[in-house]
Amino acid sequence: MFRTSRRWFRSATALALAGLSLSAITACSGDTGSSGTTTAAESSAAAEATSAAAAEAVTISYWIWDKNQQPAIQQIADDFHAANPSITVTVELASAYRDYWTKLQTAATSGTAPDVFWMNGPNFQLYASNGQLEPLDDVFASSLSSSDYPQSLIDLYTYDGHQYGVPKDFDTVVLAYNSQLFADAGVAAPTDTWTWDDVHAAAQALTDPSKGIYGMFAGFYSQEDYYDTIYQAGGYVISADGKSSGYDQPEAIAGIQYWIDFIKDGSSPDYATMNDVDPDQSGVMLGNGTAAMEYIASYSAAAILDTPEGQAGHIKFARLPAGVQEASIIHGLGNVVYAQSAHKDAAKAFVAYLGSKAAADVQAETSTVIPAFNGTQDTWVASFPAEVNAQVFIDELPVTVPYPVSANTSAWANQESEILSKAWSLEQTPEEACAAMAKAMNEALAAE
Amino acid sequence: MSDTRSRGARGARPRSGTVHIKQHNGPAYAILILGSAVMVFPLVWQVIVSLESTEESRSFPPVFWPAHPSLAAYTAVFEQLPIARQLLTSTLITVARTAGQLVFCSLAGYAFARLRFPGRNLMFGLFLSVLMVPGACFLIPQYQIIQSLHLVDTWQGVALPGLFSAFGTFLMRQFFAGLPRELEEAARLDGAGTIRTFAQIMLPLARPGLVALTILTVLWSWNDMLWPLIVTTGQSKMPISASLATLQGEHMTNYPLMMAGAVIAMLPMIVLFMVLQRQFIAGIAFQGTKG
Amino acid sequence: MTALTAAGLAGARVKGQPEPGGRPVGRRRATRFIESGWGWAFILPTAIGLGVFYIVPAFTTIWFSFSSWGAFGGHEFTGLDNYRHLVTDPDIGYALVNTLLYTLMLLCGIPLAIYLAALINREKLKGKGVFRTLYFLPVVTMPAAIAMVWRLIYNGQFGVLNYALSLVGIQGPFWLQDPRWALLSIGVIGVWSSLGYNMILFSAGLQAIPKELYEVAMIDGATRGQQFRHLTVPLLSPTIFFVTILTIINGFQVFDLIFLMAGRSNPAIDRVQTLVWLFYQDGFYSHNMGYGSVIAVLIFLLTAVFTAIQFSVQRKWVNYV
Repeated sequence: MFRTSRRWFRSATALALAGLSLSAITACSGDTGSSGTTTAAESSAAAEATSAAAAEAVTISYWIWDKNQQPAIQQIADDFHAANPSITVTVELASAYRDYWTKLQTAATSGTAPDVFWMNGPNFQLYASNGQLEPLDDVFASSLSSSDYPQSLIDLYTYDGHQYGVPKDFDTVVLAYNSQLFADAGVAAPTDTWTWDDVHAAAQALTDPSKGIYGMFAGFYSQEDYYDTIYQAGGYVISADGKSSGYDQPEAIAGIQYWIDFIKDGSSPDYATMNDVDPDQSGVMLGNGTAAMEYIASYSAAAILDTPEGQAGHIKFARLPAGVQEASIIHGLGNVVYAQSAHKDAAKAFVAYLGSKAAADVQAETSTVIPAFNGTQDTWVASFPAEVNAQVFIDELPVTVPYPVSANTSAWANQESEILSKAWSLEQTPEEACAAMAKAMNEALAAE
Repeated sequence: MSDTRSRGARGARPRSGTVHIKQHNGPAYAILILGSAVMVFPLVWQVIVSLESTEESRSFPPVFWPAHPSLAAYTAVFEQLPIARQLLTSTLITVARTAGQLVFCSLAGYAFARLRFPGRNLMFGLFLSVLMVPGACFLIPQYQIIQSLHLVDTWQGVALPGLFSAFGTFLMRQFFAGLPRELEEAARLDGAGTIRTFAQIMLPLARPGLVALTILTVLWSWNDMLWPLIVTTGQSKMPISASLATLQGEHMTNYPLMMAGAVIAMLPMIVLFMVLQRQFIAGIAFQGTKG
Repeated sequence: MTALTAAGLAGARVKGQPEPGGRPVGRRRATRFIESGWGWAFILPTAIGLGVFYIVPAFTTIWFSFSSWGAFGGHEFTGLDNYRHLVTDPDIGYALVNTLLYTLMLLCGIPLAIYLAALINREKLKGKGVFRTLYFLPVVTMPAAIAMVWRLIYNGQFGVLNYALSLVGIQGPFWLQDPRWALLSIGVIGVWSSLGYNMILFSAGLQAIPKELYEVAMIDGATRGQQFRHLTVPLLSPTIFFVTILTIINGFQVFDLIFLMAGRSNPAIDRVQTLVWLFYQDGFYSHNMGYGSVIAVLIFLLTAVFTAIQFSVQRKWVNYV
């Protein structure tokens, strides 16, 4: 009995291994296909990598969460492997953003986190302060220059004087609109000088209940929606010293009120509708012509243009309308190395390559995200048709505000969706929801 | 329930023939047919939507049959998800759990039903007590064990705790206890040892019990979601159930794609059920009468 | 047959099981020794497996419930802190009520299952097999897969349900977003997916009732309603008891449907979160395994209390023939 079961177990394992090696073969054949695109820059990075990582063949894992970016990332990994045949990179796509962090933390707890992975602002300090990340000062000293990236992104991934992340990309937020719906309603298209009042007026003029058209999709996503407007109203999410919440300030409440007004006057769908029709806020209503405006971040630009309305050439981008002042949240991802990685040299060689201009160009050409490497942003803009005006994403840079973070950002940021949704659903006034949020956030900050 | 008058009539003439009963079954048919429609509708709707275009799936009034039925969503699922590998993972997990339970549960079940050994009642009580504890009470330590065995993110890690089952042991014990002793006694008298008696005489007799256990385990294992969700991380390591669970966050609004993935995930169990209907129903009924 | 059910569920545990008989008294010691050896050898794999993966973990969970966890592992003993938090956590209150309400909805499915099983078991009813297949089909479906289509059906804007309601002039709500409807909507799916399973169990129970009893009752002039109340239900009571226990245990553990149907930003989340959902959120999403363990202990206590109540009142209504 036991022997049978063990034999079965062994053959089942063999079967699984066969499956894996099969996929490895397929992956390899993919490599040879793209190796022709290797550039001089890559070979130089490759040379360093080879010297660093000896000749022994290693496989390192690289975790990402954005499906839209997977092809570009895979190509970068393939290019890297072509230049460094001894290092194979397995790109692992997490099933969804919200699972990524759960899984990563679980894996880090058991010492099995991937060698290289994406990091973001809200989670960076938690990982860096708990010794989960490998300092990359030596990588910057040898093969990268911090002046190649926007300073705010370098700062974002610095902790205790050490550089832990190589800036990968950045996102800014703009107003996306359906130019056809504007023309149909006889409303003038948004301009650089638009203010909140202009948006509200336009949204009302564009709303046509008989056709099921709403002027605005009053989304409920911090980075793309209410963080921007809180700063536009002159408020802040977290105080400069990182010790207290700004949610109880009148400016922050005004920033929330801005969105609620659309819902109240019917120029935006109500929260239940938005949650039912487009729970990920991926621009469904803008894309099918039932919403005329929505705030979107640069990483969604390509996807928005791929919707029916986008393909029809109706969707265009404009600068964010100003409140008391202009503001747009900037955030960017970083590539980091796991402190307990078994192949640190190979991992460092790979993050160095990820920080190179060659890798940035691949990302720029595929329109996915704005690369952090200075000078490659124009390539990204040029990857879009001129008439959509993708330049506005870059034009926001002078008024950008860094994404608000603290030592344990998720401890309070994870509560935002639950607490603030009560304002969007009109169950509470913005004052009540903001008061509750400020209380929860101050408690979380006190516990840091 | 409904028509007491004809019931009285039937009571007065118990053998009055089929005509009467047929008439009376009319409402029963109506209720059962209406009920079946409700039961099956979601499954049918899922298939229909999977053939529609994204726009059709989101239109109101709903499109009850696509203008151009298309399998595009199915090809898209295979392109966007490592679904073949996920199906393989699900299969490996299910086969491992089922094989483990068949072997271990029938051994233990037989011992509890027929062998005499010190500590038997204590052990049986201990096993049964596991049945009374909700799954959530095991998960955190189970996860840590899997972690310390370095089996996180592997199908073996998902399968391992499920190789053993208190429920299966109990089911098999009940089955063996219900078998006649005579054959066993005869085998003993012929000089057959415990192993031979078990493997050659009792196990073949217990086939219906083993089939019931197989069906219940396969069904549970294939559809199981929470544990694989905890143990696996990447799309390529997940069984299909966990993958679909996490998919909802991402492709939430691409309904044809989601429905196509769901149809693919459910198809193996539905086909299995269609083929082994009688055994499925007997298996469940057995659980009710013996379990 | 049905009487065996009771023996299976209640009797075996309470009374142990009858000693294997029919052996000559005064058998040689060696034989018994060998049999003992085989007995232990046979249960050993399961004993180890259940011990390592279930019995020890159950106690570990209790131990964890007195500890607090760091973001990346490591835990320290914090006494009753988690329990103190438990009694003041409003989410626990919501989850407790929702779990009980959901279980109650599942229990409401039991009479429906009995009724449908009785219909299917009618003599001369044609297409029994077809009906049984159709009603059973939802049981074999995967929750993760079927939840997708239910979300679409319940969609407030373009769902089929609201379309059907609009035909009779009713403006349907946003089922899954509306705090008044969300839990009920999910409960309907729970009943839908367990109905076929319970029907099979009741069918088997009904078939075990001797037909002669009904014939006698008919001769006595009992109406079908009376037969149902005074004959079917008492004779079916062991199965009803079994299904009730099963339903309560399953209901208290509901996770899949909640996880799949409602996200954290769902405005109705307070009204649909259940204990196991919170267990997952706290234990695995927020990595607070100590607090997750406390919730697990709470679920255990709840199950134990309700099962104990069931067993103690069973004598009053369960009829073992």
